[in-house]
Amino acid sequence: MNVRVLRIELRRSVALWAGAVVLTTALAFLYLLSGPWWNGTALWTAQWTSMALWTRSLLIFLWPLAVGLGALQGLRDHRSNVSELLTSTPRPAWHRAATLAGATAITLASAFGLLVLQGAVHVPAVTEYTHLGWLPISLVGALSLVAGAVLGMGVARALPSPLTPPVLAVCAFLFTNFLRQVPDSLESAVPTAMVPNRISLLSPPVAGVREVLLTLSPSVHVGQTLWLLGMIATGFALLAAATPRARLLALTPLLAGAALALLVLPSDPRRTYVVDEAAAAMVCDGPVCVTKAHQTRLDDLAGPGRKALRLLHDALGGQAPVAIRESTALRSLSDAPERPRDAVLFDFDDGVIATAKGEELTRALVAQGMAPVCFARSDNESGTSGELAGQSVAAGWVLGDLKPLGGTVHSLRDQLDLARPVWKELKALPRSEQLSRIRAMHAAAVSCKGDPLDVLAGGESR
Amino acid sequence: MRWLTLYARSRQVPASFAAVVISAVAVWALARDGGGGPGDPRLSALVLAAGVTAASIGLGGQDVALERTAAIRWVPRRAAHVLLIGTVVGAVLLAVQTMGEDLATTAFVVRDSAGLMGLVAVGATVFGAQYAWTLPISWLSFSLFAPPSTNTPTQVATWMLLPPGTAAGTWTALVLTVAGTAAYAVAGPRR
Repeated sequence: MNVRVLRIELRRSVALWAGAVVLTTALAFLYLLSGPWWNGTALWTAQWTSMALWTRSLLIFLWPLAVGLGALQGLRDHRSNVSELLTSTPRPAWHRAATLAGATAITLASAFGLLVLQGAVHVPAVTEYTHLGWLPISLVGALSLVAGAVLGMGVARALPSPLTPPVLAVCAFLFTNFLRQVPDSLESAVPTAMVPNRISLLSPPVAGVREVLLTLSPSVHVGQTLWLLGMIATGFALLAAATPRARLLALTPLLAGAALALLVLPSDPRRTYVVDEAAAAMVCDGPVCVTKAHQTRLDDLAGPGRKALRLLHDALGGQAPVAIRESTALRSLSDAPERPRDAVLFDFDDGVIATAKGEELTRALVAQGMAPVCFARSDNESGTSGELAGQSVAAGWVLGDLKPLGGTVHSLRDQLDLARPVWKELKALPRSEQLSRIRAMHAAAVSCKGDPLDVLAGGESR
Repeated sequence: MRWLTLYARSRQVPASFAAVVISAVAVWALARDGGGGPGDPRLSALVLAAGVTAASIGLGGQDVALERTAAIRWVPRRAAHVLLIGTVVGAVLLAVQTMGEDLATTAFVVRDSAGLMGLVAVGATVFGAQYAWTLPISWLSFSLFAPPSTNTPTQVATWMLLPPGTAAGTWTALVLTVAGTAAYAVAGPRR
């Protein structure tokens, strides 16, 4: 009987449409546009957590749509002028509210589930790091769509005007946009919002992903679940309530949920987005280590890495680094990357390392070991051309021939134009003088003082 | 005159107009705190979209089937209704910004309110008046989060936010305006 009612409800309501609109808009956004979710190391199929966070970030426009469509659904009885008729039936009001809310909840949750499934198809092919830590992110996402729709229904039932759905949708849109967390920041290594962190977490969407190792902390999930459950309770109570007094009372769960959530949610962005320790754990092959999230790339890296370490030892002697590690430190966009003396630290965000293979990779690692960069290179940062040319001269000095390093926004020709005069001058010097300049350049690069190319050309380090 | 009053009442015009004015004033107040800064197209596109969305509920009456039986010429009336929505929504924004903060240039307001007005008219024709708001809201959110690009398909997809005078933006708005107004005038809201 209940299944039959549900089927009728699905056929006669916007529930199916709501699911279809949410799914198609999200897929169209992901597949028709090429944004940061298709580029770099933190693309949406890079890892389970990235997939969950990117699909959840789409809630910024899916959630207002769910609220608006829910409100349309809530207006149905009013539109067909049967509200009065239905109050005369003996069946309790919450029965009808439950079928109405249930049908929409099922379609919206399955639409979001299908979206996540679409991502889940891609992920196993790319990464070997399998875990379930991403699941709460997606579950809260699905819950938020359901909560938004039920709240929309409740509000529309309480304020039955054709204007309610568009106004609610626009208000929800403003809500998600003003509370939006933005990942690209010069001041902070983790996504931050314009408003206080706790308040911004009341909005279900999360920021896009810039760093693949970041995940949401458990207290965020707990706080958001409490808030969303309060929202569902209020929406449902508004759907079933008949008197103005009951409607006013129905607001209690929403306020209680908000209060509880604000107590639980972290106040600091650093405790909102935390490093996933399991993903950041090191997997090593001898002296070459990568994070567990990037385990698949270790095989390609181990051989060239060992060779690069050998070459560095020949060139720098006792000062040479003895290990190669992937960098895991969080960093805001303007910060210089870490440059320890004893290890070569690299980042797969750096196109020079990420795109190179075999011999090229050895050269890139030697370059990074000889002159670690002060100005990071990634999808959002270009590095400096002087540093890049300095790196190619240094690597050329170790390997015996000058070749440009690819994979950056700076063109190969510009790089060679900068590097060639320095290279010729350096090679013309006596061996001991060459060695002292190389060592000076290494010291300057490690301490981040002075442009490596200037130092190689005989300039003073600052 | 009596016909007009009754028509306006049946199309929820007072409520829609109030919503249009309130949203324009609210966003103008937000912009004054330096939220987006002058010349930020996102805020003005948002006001215009919110305006046409609020007005779109009037594109259908209480009983569409009954209205169709009226022996009057619907085509010019419907066309006038759509054009009036675009004019009023654009004019409210222009009027609000004469009080101070500049949100957008007149060319931008004209293009966007015309295009959005066509868009809700398409929505009302295809889905019915109560669903017409989904089109501008979905499209606006799509363009707000799409990364800026110079290739034509993306420019068409983000026409609302392009600077005025960009060919792709102008043409998309023009096509939407003409198609939407014509479709609604001839076919009317979906039953």
